[in-house]
Amino acid sequence: MITRRCPSCERRYSYAIDECTFCRVPLEENETRAGDVVAVTEVSVPSLGHEEVPYWCALVARPQGGYAVVKRDVPTSVGEHVSFGGAEETAAYTLGVVGSGVMARGLVELFLTRGQKVIWVGRSLDRLAASRDKVADRLARVMDEEQLSAALSRLDLSDEIDAFSACDLVLEAVVEEVEPKLAILKQIEAVVRPGCIIATNTSSLPLDVLASALDDATRFGGMHFFNPPTRMRLVELVRAPMTSDATDHFIHELSVSLGKIPVRVANGPGFVVNRVLMPLLNEAVRALEDGAAPASDIDEAVRLGLNHPMGPLALADLIGLDVVVSIMEDLHTRLGDEAYAPRPMLGKLVAEGKLGRKTGSGFYDYTPPPAP
Amino acid sequence: MDAFVLGAGKTRFGPSSHPMTRLAHEAIMGALSDADMRIEEIGAFVVANFLGGPNESQLHLNSVIAGLFPGMHIPGWRVEAACASGGVAVHQAVTMLGAYDPILVVGVERLSGRPGNELTRNIGMAGDVILDQAQGLNFPATYALVAQRHMQRYGTTTRDFEIVSLKNHANAQLNPLAHFHHKKVAQADIDAGATVASPLRLFDCCPVSDGAAAVIISSKPRDERSVPIIGSGVGTDVISLAQREDHTSFAAAREAARVAYGQAGISAKDIDLVEVHDCFTIAEVVAMEDLGLAEPGAAVELIRAGETGIGGSMPVNPSGGLKAGGHAIGATGVGQVYEATKQLRGEAGKRQVEGARIAVTHNVGGVGGTCAVQVLGRLS
Repeated sequence: MITRRCPSCERRYSYAIDECTFCRVPLEENETRAGDVVAVTEVSVPSLGHEEVPYWCALVARPQGGYAVVKRDVPTSVGEHVSFGGAEETAAYTLGVVGSGVMARGLVELFLTRGQKVIWVGRSLDRLAASRDKVADRLARVMDEEQLSAALSRLDLSDEIDAFSACDLVLEAVVEEVEPKLAILKQIEAVVRPGCIIATNTSSLPLDVLASALDDATRFGGMHFFNPPTRMRLVELVRAPMTSDATDHFIHELSVSLGKIPVRVANGPGFVVNRVLMPLLNEAVRALEDGAAPASDIDEAVRLGLNHPMGPLALADLIGLDVVVSIMEDLHTRLGDEAYAPRPMLGKLVAEGKLGRKTGSGFYDYTPPPAP
Repeated sequence: MDAFVLGAGKTRFGPSSHPMTRLAHEAIMGALSDADMRIEEIGAFVVANFLGGPNESQLHLNSVIAGLFPGMHIPGWRVEAACASGGVAVHQAVTMLGAYDPILVVGVERLSGRPGNELTRNIGMAGDVILDQAQGLNFPATYALVAQRHMQRYGTTTRDFEIVSLKNHANAQLNPLAHFHHKKVAQADIDAGATVASPLRLFDCCPVSDGAAAVIISSKPRDERSVPIIGSGVGTDVISLAQREDHTSFAAAREAARVAYGQAGISAKDIDLVEVHDCFTIAEVVAMEDLGLAEPGAAVELIRAGETGIGGSMPVNPSGGLKAGGHAIGATGVGQVYEATKQLRGEAGKRQVEGARIAVTHNVGGVGGTCAVQVLGRLS
């Protein structure tokens, strides 16, 4: 945050003006990145643009004089020293991301938005460059040109895993299958510096199985982000059996500094969210099979009756029905509960290639209407 | 200063199904009846309103209000100074009396019917878009920071805020036009109130109301019921707490009071009652200190001793204030002048402050970015 001060009369201005209104001399810029909290309020009432409550508004004394109001995601106390004022100022870590899917792209966007340095490794530099352009398009919606170029200057692309040698943490977000994840984890460990944390974004695979790829599993833990990671505030933090307290602590603090709300969950089937979600999706399909209501009415009822932002069938289409079936089968096997056995209609749609939004049809038809 | 309130009218403040035009009409007809005047005698009009644009998609309000007296074609305009719109409109009318006479001032606002999060955002437009709004500093949060600073500096307690709330709710029960006229508020209700922005809880916050108020102001008294306005001041300040050094007092309010008291030739000890801008309970504490009714930090002594009740030595908000009387934003400052007029005429019914001769109104925009102060009555 920049304030301007008149060198002659010492008045301070909060606005982007050039000269002192009184003295007509050029103003000096003071940029403040941190200060001490002198008062704080915990805000429990949401407003447009600030829907997530509670949050904390701190009145912070600037070292050069004057104050700033600073919004905080975490409980804040009087006397605390806080930094603020935009992305660049929190660039604390170099984070590695491996993967080139939608989730990896969202994670890169999140990290850049939050001022981190990012090294993004994928198999093809051309594909990475195309993905970077998509990230840049997304960032351009919330940043001006100066901020955007600063953000992109913090991003390096590489098709060589060695690029991770400078990372503080590497997060793998490759395809959700055991063998590819084991292989990439082994490669990561071979190139990173000692003390670098290695994390997985797996949504379902057991952490103890993945940890077997590593010589030093104390540095390994799960960070399960939700799509899109820039908007969804939850991160499920999963400890592998060997995860050290230091690793757990680092991952937790990083999640908070990314503006997320981390929830620690056990290394069990589906963690918490998928374990709770899958029976809901499956039951919605069964309701459709039983003729309880048409798909759109089932979704409308759940949306309004349970205050969900999206109905279960539309959500299944968004996730991808093949992914839903694979998660359900995995949970069914591991938990032995019939509630997780995918309903016949799911199997039928998958067999027909109707996988949801990504193929243009699932429970709903997503093909664009013909041009008029 | 030669200015007189000839007539005053006001709707009930509170949720209403009526549009702004009908609310304004009811207040205007009340003011005309009260002054025993016809609309054709009015020389110009001022409309006070804050959120007609964002809430109602209605701007160009002077023309809308002109539709209540079609064919007159008299000059009129709208004043917007956030929650101080009404008091600033009254000030503007008083200072324009050389050009137009008499002048109708009508404040009107509709706040019900909008989703809560949208309304909270819109009211937040009274704060700086970058320094405050972008940081989530909505209005409860803004005054919560003022409360935190006041508590740190002077040892003010949340119990003091509760006393303010209970007193204003008790007064509102005596005011048939108050938002919470029919609601009895006890300590148990306050205890059960959810935190809005710490330390402020539900009963520290005024409601959002629909309503209108109107006054007719002239340089000449019409009859013995005409009430003199003997001082009127407006002060401004930087908009955000981030731009201030002092977070427990509003310089704009002190300046408006200095000017208004100077014109009136009074000091704080001459005042018989005040209607102050208690959008939050802490704001009543700050208002008393800014108006010189108590030294900084000492308002709580009067509050704890019960002196701010209707029968006390310094009655504050006999109408119930914004806290319990309601806050129909653009109408609020005009409604304060309505209340002062009723009190000084001895027409305030059950909430009458006996023998009141000097009344002061205090209407704040934002967190003290604007303040209007009027002094009404006669010293002798």
